[in-house]
Amino acid sequence: MSACSPSNDALRRGPRRGAAESVSILESAVGWLSNPAHWQGTDGVPTRLLEHVELSALAVILAILIGLPLGLAIGHTGRGSIVVVSIANIGRAVPSVALIVAFLPILGLGFRTTLVALVLLAIPPIVTNAYAGIRTIDPDLVEAARSVGMNGRQVLSQVELPAALPIVVTGIRTSAVQVVATATLGAIVAGGGLGRYIVDGFALGDTPRIVAGAVLVAGLAILTELVFALIERLVVSPGLRAERDGARQDLGRSSSATTPA
Amino acid sequence: MSVTSDPADPPAPPTSSGGAATVAFEHVTKVYGRARKDTPGAVDDLSLSVPAGKICILVGPSGCGKTTSLKMVNRLIEPTSGRILIDGVDAATRDVTELRRGIGYVIQSTGLFPHQTIGQNVAVVPRLLGWSAARQTERTEELLGLVGLDPARYRDRYPSQLSGGERQRVGVARALAADPPVMLMDEPFGAVDPIVRDRLQNEFLRLQAELAKTILFVTHDIDEAIKMGDLVAVMQVGGKLAQFGTPAEILAAPASNFVARFVGADRGLKRLSLFRVGDLTPARPVMARPGDDVEEIRRNLADDPIGYLLVVDEERRPIGWVDPIDLPATGPLARELATPMSPFLEPQTTLKDALSMLLGADVQAGIVIDPDQRVLGSVTVDAITEVMRTKGQRRGPRHDPAGPDESR
Amino acid sequence: MIDLRWIGGHLGAIGDSLLQHVLLTVTAVGIGFAISLVLGLIAQRVRWTYGPIAATTGLLYTIPSLALFAFLVPFTGLSFLTAEIGLVSYTLLILIRNVVAGLDGVPPDVSEAAVAMGLTSRQRLVRVELPLATPVIVAGIRIATVTTIGLVTVTGIIGQGGLGQQIFLGLQLAFPTRIYVGVVGSILLAFLADVGLLAIQRRLTPWTQAGGR
Repeated sequence: MSACSPSNDALRRGPRRGAAESVSILESAVGWLSNPAHWQGTDGVPTRLLEHVELSALAVILAILIGLPLGLAIGHTGRGSIVVVSIANIGRAVPSVALIVAFLPILGLGFRTTLVALVLLAIPPIVTNAYAGIRTIDPDLVEAARSVGMNGRQVLSQVELPAALPIVVTGIRTSAVQVVATATLGAIVAGGGLGRYIVDGFALGDTPRIVAGAVLVAGLAILTELVFALIERLVVSPGLRAERDGARQDLGRSSSATTPA
Repeated sequence: MSVTSDPADPPAPPTSSGGAATVAFEHVTKVYGRARKDTPGAVDDLSLSVPAGKICILVGPSGCGKTTSLKMVNRLIEPTSGRILIDGVDAATRDVTELRRGIGYVIQSTGLFPHQTIGQNVAVVPRLLGWSAARQTERTEELLGLVGLDPARYRDRYPSQLSGGERQRVGVARALAADPPVMLMDEPFGAVDPIVRDRLQNEFLRLQAELAKTILFVTHDIDEAIKMGDLVAVMQVGGKLAQFGTPAEILAAPASNFVARFVGADRGLKRLSLFRVGDLTPARPVMARPGDDVEEIRRNLADDPIGYLLVVDEERRPIGWVDPIDLPATGPLARELATPMSPFLEPQTTLKDALSMLLGADVQAGIVIDPDQRVLGSVTVDAITEVMRTKGQRRGPRHDPAGPDESR
Repeated sequence: MIDLRWIGGHLGAIGDSLLQHVLLTVTAVGIGFAISLVLGLIAQRVRWTYGPIAATTGLLYTIPSLALFAFLVPFTGLSFLTAEIGLVSYTLLILIRNVVAGLDGVPPDVSEAAVAMGLTSRQRLVRVELPLATPVIVAGIRIATVTTIGLVTVTGIIGQGGLGQQIFLGLQLAFPTRIYVGVVGSILLAFLADVGLLAIQRRLTPWTQAGGR
């Protein structure tokens, strides 16, 4: 099931549609979505949705486990910042499709290939933001903590981490949104997830399926963004929020590397 | 003065004393929003008149409206009511862009364009006015020289490569580029350290002596106001004019308690700022060069009131003082006997600063030098305090760079 | 596993893919920049428009590219236009944000001095504000370009793709060499673009290289 380029002549010939036709395309997508058959079974929406979310969540969690300690450690000790810069640069430059496809020969088609690629994709924003979060902490704060008698680990856990939290959470948010979006491409290497509808739709020339898939994928991505925005608001203490909004201007989401593929 | 002029160039204004305009405030008021008149930055019914070619200082505490008043002249801020007349013409009736190109503007942070070289920065307004490239270059070199920067070294550098003092000089050069009849200066020397500030002030006064522009100068420092101003306008919070007069008048007869307090309790001492080293007749110490005959020196020293020998080089530049006790009986004067002890004073240095320097160095006398470092004479602490004792309010000539006496 | 002979024998086709890739990228960034400059200027001057503009472009950015292209296909077919509409949309967020940030970064005393010296607002924009905003804007172009190069590979699914075309064909035909050509090629292209644009950025801003005090 690896066919993924369009084979339908009707699609290829597709001229610009008029307004009435545009509406009918959307209608057909809505029709596809309201068909109960599409909500059952291994190719049903709930199944695919779950696959997609599981894959994304796993990738993000693994990326956090790898990237967060790395970024925090480099930020805390101040050494090895070149590593962070390199990760950021590489992460930005490598196209996601290339990444997903790169492990094909080694891991074969399916879930694992996509997972590895997604983890690699998710790491840069987390690392750079963890690093930046620690670096932008007021050195006076750290000094005050040390002079009160805290050792390195206590300073990290009680002072630096809470202060860096807003920026770290932003990094996780960026990463999560990218992963959810890129997981769509996993379908190209025969993975599951909502991208399946788009890829299969192109293969079969089934326009309603393509559009329905696109709607679902876009919806999930936007939902992820909103959920994390909410998490950010809840997690960050109000005292830090104003400062963070200022700092956010500088880091922005340009600290994130690639776009959702 | 331009040697290479393109017939298409706009007519060249004379490069020195390019004309100065009069500036007059007539009942100028600035109110912000529906705020009361006492909001910081507001101006309340300000009226004053600055004659052409004079420096008028606007001084007062923060929020007294001095910067606001300044900015109303080039219409960066528009008055709520009242008029500002430049050479009799209401600024509000003139095209604002054209008005601004004819007013030099110098601010504390210089506002130099970081992405342009020093040369390009200085030439901004001439370029706007359509001068030819040749004329721009010529004028730039002239101005850089005028503010004490070697054009060859500085023209192609960027502002970030210069020190604060150097940048401020470029700021002044840039403001003078199109030879405007009016200059506005907002705490221009505030961002540099006191030593550099003193030097910049002195040099600026020397420049003004040549160019005689009409200058409005804002500062919060009363000492700077007294040193630099021909006329001083003391303003208080709420934008009211507390007193307007010469520095001597402000010091001798403060118009209100506010003015008296603002000027400071050491008014008597401040009066010393009204006078400059150049206003005094410098004493003539006995001078000698290394190698001169010691016996002759001793004879000259016999009746000299100062009693010390000043050793100078061939160019009459000071090397140091020698106590007569340390002179050998005969022979040529040895250079090593001289001890440099005295601070160097310029004719523009105020007596207040001079006294400070002498007391700080714990010496009786300072050496007055000309711009080429040559000795003009010496000034003692006694001579300065004598001025304090005198009741004379009359100020000596201030803009005379050559000093009262040309020696030799 | 890599068939070097195949590569040797098909340099023309690979070159074509490369060319298409570059063409798609340059067109998208070019158009995106033109739009972003205008929108950015508006957003920076008329501040309240920045919110809606940022929100809209942000929304576009969040939509996964595959989905966006999928949306467009029924309307504009499997064409260069479809690819470009999608690609341009993705550049907007970064470029607009950087145009605004760049213009905002002009030191206020420099702007004040420029006004006071009698430069008109157009002169200020062209001679002062845009030159000073250049480093930030070019940084945005760099990021947008590299990102676009990555996205172009995705357009392989709608028949465009540049080097992505090689990847998809390789997948379809189960021919790993082509996949590698596509993967390595697109990565190399991205790096070259990044380095090249960095050099251009440095050339355009000589005053940032001059040692400061």
